[in-house]
Amino acid sequence: MEQKTTAWHEFSKGFVLENPLMKLMVGLCSSLAVSNRVENGIFMGIAVTFVLVFSNVIIASIRKRIPDQIRIPIFIVVIASFVTIVDLSMKAYFPAVYARLGVWIPLIVVNCIILARAEGYAYKNTVFNSFMDGLGMGIGYTCVLLIMGFIRELLGTGSIVMFNTRLVSLGPFNAPAIFILFPGAFLTFGCLMALLQRYEMRKKAALEVKKGAMAGTPAASEEVA
Amino acid sequence: MRKQIVHLGLTLFVVGLVAAVGLGLTYTATSKRIAEQDRLSEAKAAVDALPGVKSPSDLVAEPALARKARKAVPEVRKVYTTGRGTIITVESKGYGGPMLTAVGIDRDGKVAGAASISNKETIGLGSKALEPEFLKQFNGKDARSGIEAGRDIQAVTGATITSKAVVKQVRAALKAYSRIQ
Repeated sequence: MEQKTTAWHEFSKGFVLENPLMKLMVGLCSSLAVSNRVENGIFMGIAVTFVLVFSNVIIASIRKRIPDQIRIPIFIVVIASFVTIVDLSMKAYFPAVYARLGVWIPLIVVNCIILARAEGYAYKNTVFNSFMDGLGMGIGYTCVLLIMGFIRELLGTGSIVMFNTRLVSLGPFNAPAIFILFPGAFLTFGCLMALLQRYEMRKKAALEVKKGAMAGTPAASEEVA
Repeated sequence: MRKQIVHLGLTLFVVGLVAAVGLGLTYTATSKRIAEQDRLSEAKAAVDALPGVKSPSDLVAEPALARKARKAVPEVRKVYTTGRGTIITVESKGYGGPMLTAVGIDRDGKVAGAASISNKETIGLGSKALEPEFLKQFNGKDARSGIEAGRDIQAVTGATITSKAVVKQVRAALKAYSRIQ
């Protein structure tokens, strides 16, 4: 299967194909920690996407001037600057959210997703493609946080509360708080991974059947497999 | 060789310089608001701790009283007075890190309310011991009550450490209050 390097591909590959959390499995630590509420997921997602997009763009635009030997320190300076900008702005304008996300915002500096995209993508690609890549990866990351946040908040507290309003409620029941604690993060993440694997295995199987039918002999598909 | 080292150093220097300027600008743009937010969240909790106080501007900060109280009770951070009583903020370690709590004491020396200013307690567990439901158990207690978790105060299930820490904070505030009278 040939890879198309269109802008759309660079953008959309972060959703499922190369989703940073579900496929590349980088940046898991903070995502497991902050995904206990949907609202946290939104703000963490915005923060990470902002840093990803801007560090990708800056690094791609100066990539020809960066000497190879000192590229990592330069990446870190660029990333750390944008993280600090996010950190200060969030503290100033969203103090309540900042209080909950706490240490995870400054820790975006050492989030593998961002350094991995800088080193693995932005350093070798054009500014526009790097922008698309950062945006797509950021949105993919945010989506996983939102799904996990939804499951964990709903099961762990019995309702979804966003911006001080109750959106969904399961009614009066004793919610198992384990879901908003760390074990719940692992349980939810594991189940999501399993579901995605199942979906992809089925898709692959369906594709093979189709190929086999086209070749006319079922043996041909087995060889490929 | 030497030329290359100079080149590397200069590149890093320029990157660092640009980053520093950008950060400096962001800091100048946000520092005022951050200080304001910190003050607001403290004032809001202080108001919640003493029913009847309507706005943070009714509070008078008393640094001299706070210094005096700290000699006996080192956890005391700030002391505010109003016509309705005294608010003492206390900082000590909870389960997840430092907790800053405001305790309101009315003019009879009884606890009128308490509210958390900042904390790092586990959301959904420890944080329950910082919600009004739990904190209102302290209302009406005074220095002679000898507040004890489990006896006078029903600790929150799964949040024993935070519950006990809050009980200690209220006791500390009452002790500090008796020193500054």
